[in-house]
Amino acid sequence: MSVSATIILPGDEIPSSTLPQPTNKKKPLTLGPGLRHIPPDTIVTTVAGALATDTKKNAVWVEYNSGRYLPSAGDLVIATVNNSAAENFNCILTPNTPPATLPHLAFEGATRKTRPQLYPNSLVYARIFNAGKESSPELTCVDPSTGKSDGLGPLKGGTVFQISLGMARRLLAGRKGGVIVLEGLSEKVGFEVAIGRNGMLWVDGGNIKTTLVIGKAVQEVDEQALGEKGQKKVVERVLRGL
Amino acid sequence: MPREVEVSVNERAFIQQALQENVRLDGRAFDAFRPLELTFGDEYGVADVQLGKTRVIARISVDVTAPLPERKFDGIFQIVAEFSPMASPAFEVGRPTDAEVILSRILEKAIRRSNALDTESLCIIAGLKCFALRADVHIIDHDGGLIDASCIAVMAALQHFRRPDVVVEGEKATILSVREREPIPLSILHQPLCVTFSCYEDGERILIDANLAEEQVRQEEVIVTMNRHGEVCQVAKYGGATVEPLALLNCINMASQKVKEISKFIQTKLEEDAKKRDAGGLMAELSAENER
Repeated sequence: MSVSATIILPGDEIPSSTLPQPTNKKKPLTLGPGLRHIPPDTIVTTVAGALATDTKKNAVWVEYNSGRYLPSAGDLVIATVNNSAAENFNCILTPNTPPATLPHLAFEGATRKTRPQLYPNSLVYARIFNAGKESSPELTCVDPSTGKSDGLGPLKGGTVFQISLGMARRLLAGRKGGVIVLEGLSEKVGFEVAIGRNGMLWVDGGNIKTTLVIGKAVQEVDEQALGEKGQKKVVERVLRGL
Repeated sequence: MPREVEVSVNERAFIQQALQENVRLDGRAFDAFRPLELTFGDEYGVADVQLGKTRVIARISVDVTAPLPERKFDGIFQIVAEFSPMASPAFEVGRPTDAEVILSRILEKAIRRSNALDTESLCIIAGLKCFALRADVHIIDHDGGLIDASCIAVMAALQHFRRPDVVVEGEKATILSVREREPIPLSILHQPLCVTFSCYEDGERILIDANLAEEQVRQEEVIVTMNRHGEVCQVAKYGGATVEPLALLNCINMASQKVKEISKFIQTKLEEDAKKRDAGGLMAELSAENER
C-alpha cells in the first residue's frame, strides 16, 4: 500500500499512468471508496483526498477524512447499547447512523442462560457483520468461524474520546497509517485502547490522569494533523508530564 | 424521533471519578470559562459567540408596527431562539425540546423582563407607531453552555445594533435611511449576563460553564443572571437536588466576578469594532444620538 502525495478533487480523471501496475496481469483492477468507473475506461473521483494504490491487490482508492460514518461490513466499531430487545441489543454507532443490532448470542460462549447483561449506555467493542443500504447494520462480538471473541466484547472502565474518522482508520492501519503516538507512549506507560471506525477511541490507563493524557495526546495529533516529528514531540512532552 | 445522545456509563463514571480527584476533562479549573470569542458581522446587530465548541449567532432586526393597545408608550421587543438540526442530531425544526423552551424563558426573563432595553425609547408616536425589535438566536454548534453563550450573544448584538433615526411631524413619521442620517444605538439600561453553575455530589462540587458531557452527568443546574454592577436579575433552578444557601451565595459571588470579566470583554470587542468602522474619524460628527 502506498499513499502518494497526489491530491485529487471531485471530478478529476485518474490517468492510467497513476493506476497500479499489477505483477499478476490477470487480476482485475479494484476501485475503492471515492472512485467511479465510467465505461469504457474512464475513472473519475467523487471526493477530495489523497490517491492511494496497492500493486499487490491491484487496488486504487481515495484516502479522505469525511465527517459522517457509513457502516460497512468488517469494520471494528465501539457501539453504545441503547436498549435490550427480545433477541438482541439495539446499539448506536453514531447519532447520525441508523441503530445497529447486536444479537444476545453473538458473544464468546454465550448461550440462552449465560448471555451477557448489558445495561443501557454501556459500551461494546464489536465488528460489523453485515451492513446493507436497506437494512440496519448487524454487529457481532465473536468470530463466526472460530467462536472466539478476539478481544471483542463489553468495555469496562476507562472512557471514550471522539476522534476523526480518518484518524481512526490510520490508527487501525498500524504502521502503515503513520501514527506512532500510541506506540511511543506504550514504551513507558501501560494502557489499553480500543479503536472504533465510527470515530471513537476507548482508553483505559488504570487511573484518571494516564487515561486523560493518552486520549488528549491522540486528539492533539488528530486535530493538528501532526507528522512523525510532531508526534514524537507530543510523546516526549506527555511522558515528562507523567 | 431523534434523541439526545446520552453519555455512556463509562464516561459518566469517569467524569465523576475525575471530579472527585478535582480534575476536569479539558484541564480547566472548576471556575473557568472555556475560551470565549466574539465577532461582529458587517451589518449592525450581528454577534457571533464561540464558547469552546459551542457557537451561537444572534441577530437583531427592526420593523415599524403599531404598539400594543395596553402599552401605548412602549416599543416591542422579542427574543426568538431556534435550535438548528445542524447543531445536534437531537434538534428538530418545529418541535422544541425542553432545553429550547427553558433557554427561551431564561433569556426572556434575563434580558426582556429585567428591562435591559429601554422599550420606551422605541416608541415613535404614542399609540400609533413604534419600533418592533426582534432578536433571533441561532444555535450553530452545541457543546453545552447554551444559555450563557446565547445571553452573551444577545447582549453583545443589542449593544452593537443601530436603529434608523426618525423624524416626527405631527402624526407623520419619516424613517431616515442610513444615507440620510447615521443610525443611532439603542438605549440600554444595564447588561445582564447569565452564568450557569452545575452541581455534583449533592452540591459538594460546583462547576462553571460545563460542556455537553459534564452537563449530562450533573445533578442539577443553577442559573444566575447578574449585571456588572453586581445586581442579581434572576436565579433559576429547575428542580433537581437541593443547594445549601451558603453555596448559593458563593455562586452569586463567583457569578458577579465572571460577569464583570465578560462585560469588560464585550466592551473591548465593541470598541475594537467601532474603531474599525470609524475609518475617517467622522463618526463623532455624524452621530445623531441625543446626548443625555
